[in-house]
Amino acid sequence: MNPTDRPLANPIVVLREEFDDWAVLFNPDTAEAVGTNPVGVAVWNRMDGKRSIENIVSEIQNSFEDTPDAAFKEIAAFVDTLAENGFVGLELESK
Amino acid sequence: MPEESKDKREPPASRVMRTPRSLTIEITSRCNLRCRYCYFFNNPAMVYRDLPADEWLKFFDELGSLSVMKVTLAGGEPFIREDLPLLLEGIIRNRMRFSFLSNGTLIDDEIAAFIARTGRCEYVQVSVDGSCAEVHDSCRGKGSFDGAIRGIRTLQRHRIYVAVRVTIHRNNVHDLENIAHLLLGELGLPDFGTNSAGYMGTCRLNADDVLLNIQERKEAMATLLRLAEKYPNRISSQAGPLTDVRMWRRMEEARAQGKPDFYNGGRLTGCGCTSNKISVRADGVIVPCNMLAHIEFGRINQDSLAEIWQNSPALNQLRNRRTIPLTAFEFCDGCSYIPYCTGNCPGLAYTLTGKVDHPSPDACLRRFLDEGGTLP
Repeated sequence: MNPTDRPLANPIVVLREEFDDWAVLFNPDTAEAVGTNPVGVAVWNRMDGKRSIENIVSEIQNSFEDTPDAAFKEIAAFVDTLAENGFVGLELESK
Repeated sequence: MPEESKDKREPPASRVMRTPRSLTIEITSRCNLRCRYCYFFNNPAMVYRDLPADEWLKFFDELGSLSVMKVTLAGGEPFIREDLPLLLEGIIRNRMRFSFLSNGTLIDDEIAAFIARTGRCEYVQVSVDGSCAEVHDSCRGKGSFDGAIRGIRTLQRHRIYVAVRVTIHRNNVHDLENIAHLLLGELGLPDFGTNSAGYMGTCRLNADDVLLNIQERKEAMATLLRLAEKYPNRISSQAGPLTDVRMWRRMEEARAQGKPDFYNGGRLTGCGCTSNKISVRADGVIVPCNMLAHIEFGRINQDSLAEIWQNSPALNQLRNRRTIPLTAFEFCDGCSYIPYCTGNCPGLAYTLTGKVDHPSPDACLRRFLDEGGTLP
């Protein structure tokens, strides 16, 4: 995944915040669901097709205390997983 | 009980999720059949009044805003509603999935094709209670067997998952082997579920003719265990003889070997439904469950579902049922199975004893044994 890719949340996917520290992303078309924590929720809410992954990581680092050094790698992996499951699409960098 | 021991029995603090994950909605109180053990009809809590589609559509918008994942459409018979496609469109628009509880007889190609096209249907549960018309129709009425099988075949043609439920009663307990062959062999279903007629609604009026006696329960348990071995992972149950015998065998083994208390044993933990789902009656009244239709929390489109879910004292009282120890009940006095018992279904407890906060006598192992029952 390229840091300049701009992920776009699939609008059919439902974000269900069940508890303060736990949420579910649910695709009603496929019945697939992915559990996530508050950082995942924050990432999801920023995937608007305008922000790049590096923008999102930067915003997360500013919003959450003690963000680990590996934040980019972890967030990119999370977005990758969502993309593989059809939960997000990627707006690729303009050539 | 010593304090230390008492503390160990306290359930873990339960957290309530922000909104229910799923709802069971009785979209109609009408039905084309009058089954002799129907829990719905002749329930004193039922109000036989259907809401117009726009009321349901408005409510589905609320469910969408609460990120509810799934609704189960029940009744009455949900396929009796002529405006069913309109209701399904409202569910789809609000990003939910759906399923049905049905007798199968009103399902035709047109509605099956519509359902299939949505891609959102989890399953259609069709009741089949006999391997032939003579057995099935004995409690469900003439022509209902042919209609149910026709409905199943229609759903199969449209590749909709059919989840058959077999309700076991006095007239079909000897037919279970044939029913399994029909469903898993002739119809080629991947699996089916079982239950037994419960002392609710119309069944209360026909209890002597319908409910299994001790000998028949024993027969049902033995037969279902044998069939479950013959058809591995293809016969399931959430209640009824198969669930009872599996649970009771574990309880008997634990008691005989002096095993530690079950995690959820010794308290009224038998129902976890109030942690993730809720129900709505056909007249729009929000209730905890179709089996507890007399406990009214509010009304759709007038009261906030989120507010009810989070703050209803009556709902929270039901959730706290799990903290009530079985030792508090005279019914359980001296019972050696208490550490392994959950008290089972509050709906049946209510219809049998008049109290929701009571263990269900129907699922009581000690009573079953005292009345001459034995475990296969």
